[in-house]
Amino acid sequence: MKTLVYLLLCLSLTGFAQEKYLTKTGTLEFEASVPSFEEVAAKNTSVTAILNADNGEFASLALVKGFRFKNALMEEHFNENYAESSEFPKATFKGTFKDFEGNSLSGKQQFTIDGELTFHGVTNTLKDIPVIIEKQGDQLILTGSFVVLISDYNIKIPSIVENKISKDVKVSFNFTLDKK
Amino acid sequence: MKSTRNWLLIIAIIAIVAILGYNYIYQDHRNIEKEAPTFTMEAQDLVSEFSSDPTAAETKYLNNTIAVSGIVTESSTQSITLNDKIFCQLSQPAETTLVQGQSITIKGRVIGYDDLLEELKLDQCNPINN
Repeated sequence: MKTLVYLLLCLSLTGFAQEKYLTKTGTLEFEASVPSFEEVAAKNTSVTAILNADNGEFASLALVKGFRFKNALMEEHFNENYAESSEFPKATFKGTFKDFEGNSLSGKQQFTIDGELTFHGVTNTLKDIPVIIEKQGDQLILTGSFVVLISDYNIKIPSIVENKISKDVKVSFNFTLDKK
Repeated sequence: MKSTRNWLLIIAIIAIVAILGYNYIYQDHRNIEKEAPTFTMEAQDLVSEFSSDPTAAETKYLNNTIAVSGIVTESSTQSITLNDKIFCQLSQPAETTLVQGQSITIKGRVIGYDDLLEELKLDQCNPINN
């Protein structure tokens, strides 16, 4: 009898398998423009993002070579001199949503997330990033933005272009996650 | 007479420098579609290279244009996945999706290895007809 109960318990537990949401084509943009100078902005449309709806754990990975600039020379300088993308090809974020209950998601809700952002070989903790989660059928749409300092990621801007690049970078994201 | 000629020469040099400078600063992006692939290979060989040593393989292929032949395991208007492990983002949205299981050769640029999904990612991809 005991074993039967145990077996049933096991079965019912596997019934509540992890509910995962995933995208491989999320959008991540950053901008470090200074007014009246040429726009310093790039967009990556092949960002991976995974959300575990059971516990609010979130992970994201952007391949740095996937950031596209309007200006080809700017893209080359970004890859070779600033992000050094051959040496540090990945940018990652791992974190957990606070007060998150996957089952009670409906419409548009705002959450905050704490986590660790790694870029250019440097990991920093980010706190209380606001994220809007919108549930649309079997999809979750995550949008938001935050600001990081270039100097926090061990990136040196040469003095000749110093006044053309903002010291803080606005990062915005838009992930449409499909239920898996 | 001589001074006018000198002036013309100076103006011509300035114009040439300006044109060269402009073309340097506003140069065109790489055109992956027109580039000859640095590596041409089968999807399964590429996958096994990445699964045995992701870091070395990533260094070898990163930012290179490759032509890879494999079997379509997933297809949308934005992307094609080969052999479950090679994710190819198309340079332009496709009008039709491909049938799963069909063989295809795709040319694109390697942008890196995705540790989360253990997938290789390519962007600016185009199917090659052969």
